[in-house]
Amino acid sequence: MTQLLDQTRRVADLALSLGASEARVSLGRNRGVNLGWRDGRIETLEDHTSQGLSVSLFVDGRFSSHSTGDLRPEALEPFLREAVAMTRLLEPDPARSLPDPARYAGRAAVDLDSVDAGYGDVTAERRRDEARALEELTRDAAAALSAGRGGPAVEVVSVSTGVGDHRGQSARVHTNGFEGEREGTSFYASASLTLKEADGKRPAGGGFTYRAHRGDLRPLEVVAREAAEEAFGKLGAQKLATGKYTTLVKAEAVGRLLGALLAPLSGGALQQRRSLWEGRLETQIASPLLTLRDDPHVPRGLSSSLWDGDGFATAPRPVIEAGVLKTFLIDDYHAKKMSLERGEPVWATGASLHSLQWDLGPLGFDALVADVRDGVMIDSFLGGNSNATTGELSLGCAGRRIRDGRLAEAVTEVNLSGNLKDLWRQLVAVGADSYPEGASNTPSCVFEGVQLSGV
Amino acid sequence: MSTDHSDHSDHSDHSVAPLDGLQHFGRFGVDAALLRDALGAALGRGGDWADLFFEHSVSQSLSLRDGAVNSAYSGVTLGVGVRVVRGDQTGYAYTEDLSRPAVLSAARSAALIAEGDARGALPPSWNATPHPARYPVAREWSSVPLERKLPLLRQLNEEAFAADPRMVKVEVSLAHSDAVVFLVESSGATHCDRQPMTRVAMSCTAAEGEGPAARRESNSASFAARAGFEFLTPERLTRLREQAVQRTLFLFDAEIAPIGGEVPVVLAAGAAGILLHEAIGHGMEADFNRKNTSIYSDRLHQRIAPKGVTIVDDGTRVGDRGAVNVDDEGVEGQRTVLVEDGVLRSYMHDRISAQHYGVAPTGNGRRESFHHAPVPRMRSTYMTAGEHDPADIIRSVKRGVYAETFTNGQVNIGPGDFTFYIKTGYLIEDGRLTRPIKDTNIIGNGPEVLERTDMVGADFTFDEGGWTCGKAGQSVPVSLGMPTVRVSKITVGGVGG
Repeated sequence: MTQLLDQTRRVADLALSLGASEARVSLGRNRGVNLGWRDGRIETLEDHTSQGLSVSLFVDGRFSSHSTGDLRPEALEPFLREAVAMTRLLEPDPARSLPDPARYAGRAAVDLDSVDAGYGDVTAERRRDEARALEELTRDAAAALSAGRGGPAVEVVSVSTGVGDHRGQSARVHTNGFEGEREGTSFYASASLTLKEADGKRPAGGGFTYRAHRGDLRPLEVVAREAAEEAFGKLGAQKLATGKYTTLVKAEAVGRLLGALLAPLSGGALQQRRSLWEGRLETQIASPLLTLRDDPHVPRGLSSSLWDGDGFATAPRPVIEAGVLKTFLIDDYHAKKMSLERGEPVWATGASLHSLQWDLGPLGFDALVADVRDGVMIDSFLGGNSNATTGELSLGCAGRRIRDGRLAEAVTEVNLSGNLKDLWRQLVAVGADSYPEGASNTPSCVFEGVQLSGV
Repeated sequence: MSTDHSDHSDHSDHSVAPLDGLQHFGRFGVDAALLRDALGAALGRGGDWADLFFEHSVSQSLSLRDGAVNSAYSGVTLGVGVRVVRGDQTGYAYTEDLSRPAVLSAARSAALIAEGDARGALPPSWNATPHPARYPVAREWSSVPLERKLPLLRQLNEEAFAADPRMVKVEVSLAHSDAVVFLVESSGATHCDRQPMTRVAMSCTAAEGEGPAARRESNSASFAARAGFEFLTPERLTRLREQAVQRTLFLFDAEIAPIGGEVPVVLAAGAAGILLHEAIGHGMEADFNRKNTSIYSDRLHQRIAPKGVTIVDDGTRVGDRGAVNVDDEGVEGQRTVLVEDGVLRSYMHDRISAQHYGVAPTGNGRRESFHHAPVPRMRSTYMTAGEHDPADIIRSVKRGVYAETFTNGQVNIGPGDFTFYIKTGYLIEDGRLTRPIKDTNIIGNGPEVLERTDMVGADFTFDEGGWTCGKAGQSVPVSLGMPTVRVSKITVGGVGG
């Protein structure tokens, strides 16, 4: 690691010697193997050793950024020399400078435990055996679900699985005092199952698990069952009658709505006047049931970090408390930019979110289904978009009808529409569950009176 | 902006002397011995064939925000991907390090897809293959100083603010890249292609009213092509500015469609080709079909659309963002008729799927970069012109939606469900365009929507926008085209019944 940091320092020094006033340099190396398996044998085997350099230059009040994978010394110097010369030709931007070094201080003394010491133990045979086993488990799960339905067996068209392992190292240097190094490992296993219906439609389902430590991966049986349950859950899908429904969004799908809610909080959206949340700090933007806190220091968290993109020391913080917006996500540049525009200081709150912690409700998924009684459960979104400036959103989705407190027929070609200003106020229940993959930790959520379009 | 399809299609391809890939990559230490030894290592365990894909790309972008061109980016992509194929199995490895040990190591990693002894011998010499020249560049970006570009961006900014007092923010970006790729096949064939790309984009935010009650709207426009500096004609830049401004101001009068449910939808000529891309295109990429996971897997040579519907995926359009001289596995770019007069005629193939089906590859084997193995991808996908007057198509609808501009789309290959997002359009009432609409998603099923495409206009229009397609973690540039068409019913995701 020290060698990588030394190399990064040397690039930063080179940038200064070539005329940059300040520089921000990141250097990374990655190694990874991915094995794709389909219907009884290896389909793809991918192996990479990768490297990359990113440099941000601040030259006489002007700014540019650069990246290259050509790290030969004889290539690097002319690359940077040209980059500095290019930057000099741009127009000045007084907001472009490295952050106040005081913001680098206070880095938490937390062991993020981001490296699995057993990374090198994974062999080609082991990857192959796991991929094969996952296919078999997925087919077993499908057979069990098919048998449980009665009638003719559901045709399984194809089962694909994948396993992979990666290790990455990076170092970062700001010429005004920030230095940081990171190292992390990651592992995944995934399964995808495609079925065939009489009308030729091929509903598919997937499951995956992704962790920093191999031993933390969820069991392959669980991944297989997720894939099978999702695919079987789509059989016989029908169109939904247009209307307003109490809508249960399953934990794994809530991230799509959450992303639309959070995206307009960015410094870029605010500074460019493209945020519907402008001026809404410390006001109610969602149901009192919504509380989100960010914890950047979750051990083994794939998004955990002791510093953010500006080099600011990270700390746990509230984002939304009981529906009240507690912070924007403003990076150093946009804070300076808005301060200059407004003639008053705008605080750089930090742009990154790492691991969201929710205030969970009392009911698990099945209890929420029973509680909704008559409505729609959405388990996947498809396309669509949201307007960060105005809040309108319109998203394709699919799931199951809820009748008499139970999941009923599958529904597809459904479209959810409304406005973000209203949707998150319509949140009436937060589940006790939590999606175990990714950093959003989303629980299932119930929204009332949601416009769903079908036929 | 409207162009006839035949004006742009390249029916007079002319081959040019092949670029010398070894000369280009020689500066990075690549020589004939390395090619031979790397391919030898790649086939050292019994792969059927192998290829090396060298890539060197230089890119630059400029951004204007808040009245100043005060941000720039430059990047260099350099590396090699080694592919080994055995049957339909693929071993792939890549590295940014073009040193001999690193390339040989990558080749040995890719070779692991096979388990056996080396088969056959490499040919005695390399044979550079000529290809069409579909990316004519009149003025190389490398010859254009930064000082020449900056005023163009500033002028667009000033004109946008001058166009309407409601304008509060304008962003303009100009990006261009110049890539040289060098593919070396174990058969001895080599292919070297130079691939320019230019994209210019403009985003506007306008406000009505003051303070907390102000209403703001944002929208954008972009143009892209495989071209050089000559792409930025005054006429094209004026259209860009007009589109970005008009599309933004349009939104103040618009609302999310007051329709939720199935109604007739008229797709305006041009960017509505996104419907083809999502509803048809991905499902006809042959990798999904050879795996039997596409809804079109059983439909080859069957009628899947009404007579009169012909859909093409075309890599031959000169200068087009989706144009392909040679694809990323050495097959010349072609014009592939997917649906002819309503009948499914061909999938889009790479070499592996073509071998599976016993047909010739169609030049659709594409990849984002040397970081990826190629897979079947679209190029420029469009529906050819029909015979209906576009005005008649609108007049035929009692109550429905006219979809004019779009931001994005997505598809589920297996069931065929797809979406596309209408950014601007109109309500159709009694055969006339009435209320402006915006921000409304459309969702449908690909085969069903094809069957319901019952009127095709005579006004084929090619869209010049900078579309990018994502699949399996890879993004590639594509383009779209469409005449005005009517879909008799499809679900509109507006509000209300």
